[in-house]
Amino acid sequence: MASVTGFLIPMTTFACSLKQTKLPTGISSLNSASLSMQGNGFPSLRMRPARFQISCAAKPETVDKVCAIVRKQLALSADTAVTGDSKFAALGADSLDTVEIVMGLEEEFGISVEEENAQTITTVQDAADMIEKLIEA
Amino acid sequence: MKIHSFSQRFFTSLSPLVSVQLPSPRETHFWYILPDEVKNASLLGEYLELLSPCEKENVFRMRGDELKKRALLARALVRTTIARYQINSQVSPRSLKFTKNIHGKPEVEWQQSDDSRPPPLHFNLSHTSSLIACGVTIDSPIGIDVEEKQRTIKNDILSFARRYFSHEEVDFLAAIPNTEVQRQEFLKLWTLKEAYVKALGRGFSGAPFKTFTIRYQHAAGGSCNSGNLNCEASEIVVDSFEEPSNSASNWQFALLELAGSHYASICKENNSSSEASKQPMKLTVWKTIPLVEDECVSGTDAVIRIGGSN
Repeated sequence: MASVTGFLIPMTTFACSLKQTKLPTGISSLNSASLSMQGNGFPSLRMRPARFQISCAAKPETVDKVCAIVRKQLALSADTAVTGDSKFAALGADSLDTVEIVMGLEEEFGISVEEENAQTITTVQDAADMIEKLIEA
Repeated sequence: MKIHSFSQRFFTSLSPLVSVQLPSPRETHFWYILPDEVKNASLLGEYLELLSPCEKENVFRMRGDELKKRALLARALVRTTIARYQINSQVSPRSLKFTKNIHGKPEVEWQQSDDSRPPPLHFNLSHTSSLIACGVTIDSPIGIDVEEKQRTIKNDILSFARRYFSHEEVDFLAAIPNTEVQRQEFLKLWTLKEAYVKALGRGFSGAPFKTFTIRYQHAAGGSCNSGNLNCEASEIVVDSFEEPSNSASNWQFALLELAGSHYASICKENNSSSEASKQPMKLTVWKTIPLVEDECVSGTDAVIRIGGSN
């Protein structure tokens, strides 16, 4: 039987360790094994090549799109790193930038963010998580 | 922190802070610093020494030297400004402690002393990459906001306004045919709305932008429409939909063009009687390099009142 140790890790820590990191390419070779496991009570994961989709943290594509919108709004140079942990304020965003970013995210993802929620967004990850929550709702 | 140590002015010693009298109840003091005028590494080092450990951490968390410098200057400005008012001999820029109200608005945490009542000093800070400002009042909450006049909006202005501003404000902006003028009016309105929300001290969600309108009103009554934008004699008023009683007479605004490069808005609560509240806001403005020099610029070209009668 193919090694399944990766699936026995509790979901939350698995998600945390997957944040923003590219998965080792070795895992993609397990794709074909996933069907045989669904009847065994293991958590079912929808697998895409080289990526997992975890429900408790935003998809990497979402985080990437947020990063792109933040970069554009703040006119950041290519050598300024922007990741999920990046705080808008630390990147130089003022209140107008933050509102413009939220508006850019609303347009990109077709969502609407209430002011109380907008106020809680301080990092790229916060924005990505909120977007996914609103999309799923 | 790598800051180039060439400097435009050479100084060999720091001057002590020049003390200033507290503003009177109808008065607002406004202090600003231009980061480009502060390049000397030793001076920046002196400013760093004034900060609390937590503030220093925040400065170093900023990405890049320019942002670190801006964060440093903002805290140095706030600390040196408040310390000027010589509330008592215990207060120095370094000894000041700050806290936040329940909504997150920064306040001074006055230390207990024998002559105990804490002074009714209020302050508010705002910064852009090229100007950092601190407003000070007595007895009334204050909010300020500064923006670079040349700032571009990445979104479409009317889309942005429809999303965040009130209907009346959208109509006001939509009626402006020239896109450059529209951008300028948008920015002025943004600073006024920000200043009001900051004065309220309830945070962005405490007074959502859509729930109040800021408009220009002729002193003689009747509204200023965008066809008559040069309303220097106009008053700036706020109508709050959620709190109709918390309106025009309670809040006083001033809008300035500062140093030729920025719009600055000031909003303060009006505690005076209705006759006194008709008086324009008395404003004193200083350009400062803390511990080096202060220049009172009220009445010069560096400070031009636009809207909010003189």
